[in-house]
Amino acid sequence: MENQKRTAREILTGYQGRPIRIMEVCGTHTHEIFRLGIRGLLSPDIHLISGPGCPVCVTPVDFIDEAVWLALERGVTICTFGDLVRVPGSRMSLAGARAKGAEVRVVYSPLDAAEHAEAHPEKEVVFLSVGFETTTPSSCLAVQMAMERGLKNFSLLTANKTMPAAYEAMAGATDLFLYPGHVHAITGTGDCRRMAEKGVSGVIAGFTAREILTALAVGVARFREGEPFFANCYPRVVTDEGAPAAVRLVNGMMEPCDARWRGIGVMKDSGMKLKEAYGAYDARVRYGIPAMEGRENPACRCGEVLQGRCLPSDCKVFGRGCTPEHPIGACMVSGEGACSAFYLYSQG
Amino acid sequence: MIGNTVTLACGAGGRQTAELIDRVFKAHFQNPYFTPDDAAVLDLPPGRLAMSTDGFIVSPAFFPGGNIGKLSICGTVNDLACMGARPLYMTCAFVIEEGFALDDLEKIAAAMEKTAKEAGVSLVAGDTKVAGRGQVDGVFITTTGIGLVPEGRRTGGALAKPGDKILVTGDIGRHGTAILLARDEFGIEADVTSDCAPLTKGVEAALSASDRVHVIRDATRGGVGTVLYEIAHQSDVGIRLDAEKVPVRPEVRGVCGMLGLEPLYLACEGRMVLFVDPEDADRVLEALRQSPYMEEAAVIGEVTADNRGRVVMMTEIGSQTLLPEPGNELLPRIC
Repeated sequence: MENQKRTAREILTGYQGRPIRIMEVCGTHTHEIFRLGIRGLLSPDIHLISGPGCPVCVTPVDFIDEAVWLALERGVTICTFGDLVRVPGSRMSLAGARAKGAEVRVVYSPLDAAEHAEAHPEKEVVFLSVGFETTTPSSCLAVQMAMERGLKNFSLLTANKTMPAAYEAMAGATDLFLYPGHVHAITGTGDCRRMAEKGVSGVIAGFTAREILTALAVGVARFREGEPFFANCYPRVVTDEGAPAAVRLVNGMMEPCDARWRGIGVMKDSGMKLKEAYGAYDARVRYGIPAMEGRENPACRCGEVLQGRCLPSDCKVFGRGCTPEHPIGACMVSGEGACSAFYLYSQG
Repeated sequence: MIGNTVTLACGAGGRQTAELIDRVFKAHFQNPYFTPDDAAVLDLPPGRLAMSTDGFIVSPAFFPGGNIGKLSICGTVNDLACMGARPLYMTCAFVIEEGFALDDLEKIAAAMEKTAKEAGVSLVAGDTKVAGRGQVDGVFITTTGIGLVPEGRRTGGALAKPGDKILVTGDIGRHGTAILLARDEFGIEADVTSDCAPLTKGVEAALSASDRVHVIRDATRGGVGTVLYEIAHQSDVGIRLDAEKVPVRPEVRGVCGMLGLEPLYLACEGRMVLFVDPEDADRVLEALRQSPYMEEAAVIGEVTADNRGRVVMMTEIGSQTLLPEPGNELLPRIC
């Protein structure tokens, strides 16, 4: 361990040569890299970019508007992961809606939301289904549970997203992807291999200090060799085939759709929505939600941050108008957001 | 005759109040100063006194490792101990929800008796109010304590000096984790017991071992991380924290990992953080380790002249990072 640690560090500290841009796609990686102080160890020729892999951060404003509308105009109970509650919408966040009397419950799993619906047949319950390939299966499980138990008052407001389109969109902004281990534990390594075939390199990384350092070091060492490559540095969890049962579950209930990513725009086939046969569990179908305009605060540069085009500190409102206590952009709300990590670990 | 639950009549001041006091409080708070009169009259030794008051609203009232009664004694005697004070007398005020089980109230009083005895403090006066159902949740307790600060002792949050070693008296984050799990909102099962304990003896041992203990603070709400920032600001110094030296039980680390929490911000109810002159640090550490609840005491960092107002953390991989300053409250009603 000591030896390996030093070797990985030596590679990362001692690297000299063509500057290398590494994009960590996953919010958990962003957070751990800050928590572990990894940026401080890197050679000045290695640049880390925080990519669009925090599900809360890429959730567009109009999604919050839809949830607020459901809560205030239709009186539904919104069940959501905690991070979404304070994300600003066009007019207000869900926290703002709660102050106006909306019922907004924080849950830790979509199944908790379905159970809440079962325990309260008098309420209409909507779960805000955000997340990537890792979390989407549990939303499908919740729908499955609702069907098995005959729940008539539970549905999903979906904003589920898939990574491959984002990889394509971000390919020009980076020399190397640090791929999210959790996502590829589900989807396997196929997408990463295809990216390498197209000339885009990447390594799949786990989440401990050792796993992140190893993946970065392998990435840097292979980059030096010059050929596009892919390496799985998280083999204890990620296999080539991934988790076929989870993929089958999702593909049985959901289908790809075009999806809007905050700050990036609409990307073709980058989202997942419930198939028509499951319309009874699709909040948009069930409640006929009107189209939302989705006005973002024009001062906020989350979109550029997510694409690695600027650092959080380049944004005018960063740390001034926009802080974790009073966030303007989603990247400042979520604990995994790049702005929040920059702010917390560089304060003062 | 009162029944199995507390009723509004128990708080009305009449016969049923007297019965409740006899059955629950007098039975457990027996000492020469405990008074049926309007105020306790006390003998005070000469010297400076420390005085502290604290309200307890923990939910649930019973948790692995203690209950609100034990907590209400520990909280106040530990606050006194932070100033180097030996606790002398305490008072307690109960606000009880109508319908609260008398058995539970007795368990709470029994825990208070036991803990007060251990800390060497006398409960000398009390008050009982009963509120209607829903107006309080179960039982709330407020305790007030006074203690004697022996001649020559001076500790305080503004007294940390560059070079001081920072000691913690045991593994951190257990109370917060135990409460979190006891609420059963997460579907996680883990064997975590609150660290809730009276720390008077250990602090006495530390202060006997050295007269250069500069700061003592109990790491309650906000945990050790919050204490470090408080002292960094109050003393206008920097703090270097060695993350790997901070004792954390694997089960606490496990739960924190699952929920995305940082043990450094989780509440303890039986842990002190001490800032000690470097020459005396080893001696104090040894004294702490010989004391109850402090066997796992450890040096976790030191005070620096640079980085004032900041806590810089040495990480497990030997890099440096800033410990994020604690912000929003993690979890309501932990104490």
